[in-house]
Amino acid sequence: MILLSFVFLYGCAQTNILDKVGLTTLVGYDVGTEDKIKTTAVIREVNPEFQSNVEVLSTENDTSKGNRMEANRKLSKKIMVGQMRVILFGEELAKKDLRYYIDTNLENASVSNGIFMAIVEGETETLLKYEYQNIEDIGQHIFRLIEQNVKQEYMISSTLHQIAHDYYSSGKEFAMPIIKRDDELVELSGIALFKGSKMVSTLPAKDSFYVKIVRDTFKVGLYETVLENEDVPSEILQKPANKITVAFDAIQSKREMMLVDADTPTFDLNIKIKSRVLEVYPDINQGDPKSVAALEKAIEKKLSKEIRRVIAHSQEVESDIFGFGEKYRSEVRHSKLTKDKWQKIYKDMKVNVHVDFTILRDGVFE
Amino acid sequence: MKFKLPFNKQQQQPVQEAPKENLVRVAHATDHFIQSIKNATNNPADLIVKYLPPNVTLIYIDNLIDDQTLNNDIIANLQSKPHDTPEAIEMALSIAEVSQSSLLRETVELMVNGHVVIHIGGFPQTILANIASRESRALSAPENESQVIGTQVGFNESLSTNISLIRRYIVSPNLCNEKVKIGTRTSTSVSLLYMRGIANDQMVQTMRQRIKDLYIDELIDSAVLAEMIDDNSLSVFPQMLLTERPDRFCDGILDGKIGVLVDGSSMAIVSPQGFTEFFQSQEDQNLRWQIATFLRLLRLAAFFLSVYLTPFYVAALTFHYEVIPQAFLVPLSESRALVPFPPIFEALLLEFIIELLREAGARLPTKIGQTIGIVGGIVIGTAAVQAGITSNILLIIIALSALASFTSPSYMMGNVIRLIRFPIIILAGFWGFYGIMLAFCFILIHLLRQSSLGAPYMSPFYPPRLKEMRDSIIRMPVPLTSKRPALTRPKDEHKFVPEPVKPDKS
Repeated sequence: MILLSFVFLYGCAQTNILDKVGLTTLVGYDVGTEDKIKTTAVIREVNPEFQSNVEVLSTENDTSKGNRMEANRKLSKKIMVGQMRVILFGEELAKKDLRYYIDTNLENASVSNGIFMAIVEGETETLLKYEYQNIEDIGQHIFRLIEQNVKQEYMISSTLHQIAHDYYSSGKEFAMPIIKRDDELVELSGIALFKGSKMVSTLPAKDSFYVKIVRDTFKVGLYETVLENEDVPSEILQKPANKITVAFDAIQSKREMMLVDADTPTFDLNIKIKSRVLEVYPDINQGDPKSVAALEKAIEKKLSKEIRRVIAHSQEVESDIFGFGEKYRSEVRHSKLTKDKWQKIYKDMKVNVHVDFTILRDGVFE
Repeated sequence: MKFKLPFNKQQQQPVQEAPKENLVRVAHATDHFIQSIKNATNNPADLIVKYLPPNVTLIYIDNLIDDQTLNNDIIANLQSKPHDTPEAIEMALSIAEVSQSSLLRETVELMVNGHVVIHIGGFPQTILANIASRESRALSAPENESQVIGTQVGFNESLSTNISLIRRYIVSPNLCNEKVKIGTRTSTSVSLLYMRGIANDQMVQTMRQRIKDLYIDELIDSAVLAEMIDDNSLSVFPQMLLTERPDRFCDGILDGKIGVLVDGSSMAIVSPQGFTEFFQSQEDQNLRWQIATFLRLLRLAAFFLSVYLTPFYVAALTFHYEVIPQAFLVPLSESRALVPFPPIFEALLLEFIIELLREAGARLPTKIGQTIGIVGGIVIGTAAVQAGITSNILLIIIALSALASFTSPSYMMGNVIRLIRFPIIILAGFWGFYGIMLAFCFILIHLLRQSSLGAPYMSPFYPPRLKEMRDSIIRMPVPLTSKRPALTRPKDEHKFVPEPVKPDKS
């Protein structure tokens, strides 16, 4: 009897044999004509005749599933999304609304929650359809590009899981990296700030360090900053110079957010960075504790200035990507915080930034 | 649900045969006696009847006795001076094991066991002298359980040699040896060995009962006996260890286990035996504990690898392409692209080929076997890939799992590993990971239900005996494993009183 049920139930299981499916590695969404969704998919197909090829298909339809059906009509293999790694959105689409796309992908069980989401400057279709000379599989390439930068902590991480979390929490907005084509390469060019599900502003890629340092803890990131003339303590210079370029990698950063005043929300933001200075140009005497202390002071000043600037920018566009609202909600009783409410409060929020920068080492001789 | 066993374990003792035949006495007259012996043994060609004047007759079976002893110690003594009473003859023989009998049946039975029958005309009894010589091969290294470090001697087919080997390892009067005859036609000697003071009486009683209750006509090998006295004969998993290593046998006995030796079989049965103990080798005791632990973990990993690797491949390729790492995706799908079969069929085909090779290698003469190994491994392997029947990666996986299945120190368990792979592959091909999980649960539940001589099969994991995990899939240093395993319910729990590893410096 058991054996018989085995035999009958065999038909119920739907098979997706690897060499019979076309694997979508990347999907890009754009605004299509007449409010349709324009989808560009990078699909890897493996055929016995040729090694393997990457198809970039663009379709227009009312839903993303409709697009998938349309793409299916053009390919010899069943399209599956289980191996999808990246979702891209066109800039124009992001400025309209992304809610639908986040929900659809979140609800689809075969889409992993670990896929990266990013914004494309311009249209995704033009980025994906361009014939790059050295990039064979544009889908994998973009995935590795983002993954590598996130792991190195050069860029904020924006997986579907994180985006959905930030999107549904009342005191935080999400942010995504922006990518664009740079001749024969694809580069990460900045960070897109969102208000609700609409993209409202961008920050340059350099600022991702400050965003990261305020958003979460930092472990391995490398950073380079320029100390301007007025910040440079003159006594540490061996030669007169207008500016000092300092490159350091943060060994450990710790941030502490404290709500000091709940009425007109005022936060104390204490950031502790322990770092290793890698390069200083022009040279200073790092053997002297006094000049090291002065350098620390100068960097602290510079960092807090930059962080204030980044926060001010986000306040201006009412996009709390740092999660001050979360802190507010957890500290203030009965706040009944909603997204709209917080967006209004956030605009007038005050933040006191204190940076405590410690130089632990200044490089190792090998 | 209890299945009916294919044979009866608790069969009633056979009804004693008619006492009439049993009590036939030995005849007075010599002619009469010889005729009755010939009738009882169907007058075989090797039955030798020798008259020693004036009235003594010697009867024996030529192939069973030692000619030299017969000539020097019996015939010479009998010829030197005439004896007229059985008592006098018994005194005159310089043989240790001499007895008298007045029953014909007993006489015949001992004669076919290698005794010489001496009959004196006019007396209604016989004298039986044991000068049996059994053909047996010399002791050699254990072929199937070879190990690098440790003794290089294995059991052979002679029961007395095997017992002497064990007696050499365990020099103690507490080593009990009970002899039972099994098989109405073969009447094979079976020895039950255990340590008094360590082995649990109840287990000994159970074992004794199981052996004595067997009512079968033949017993050729101990593997047959092991299958019949197992707790669950229908299970694919062996519940008693078959070993040909005397050191492993003695180690088990000293842990409170019960051993069974069968005459004519080079494998000894050790019971109770836990599931994890099938993955232990005697060599582990001879190696440093770190290395032994590593090897045991390696074998356990090999077990899981061997059982689950191919099903995992089949399931991942048939249903769950999501779990394949991206870096692996392209090579995998490219090597699969040429294969015209679904993964389940591909895997079953290759597994079948590997099993064919293994079986052919085991059956063929040694010299040809090697050639077949090369032909199978290289020619079929590469040709199959080039012909597009299988993918390269599956070939590696199958070869790996075949290799892993041979790391089990027990050949019996290795066979089980190779067998249970097939249903799991089929389930994986039908339902993917759900099928594998189904098979895993089924096997786990089955294993948990098993017992070995009444002791839980999955000990020390179920029931959890944390302290005994020190000597299960890992091996801790000797001072930490001074207790005998509770699996055997030993009467004396401590092997020795452990001393601190590093005595305090005073």
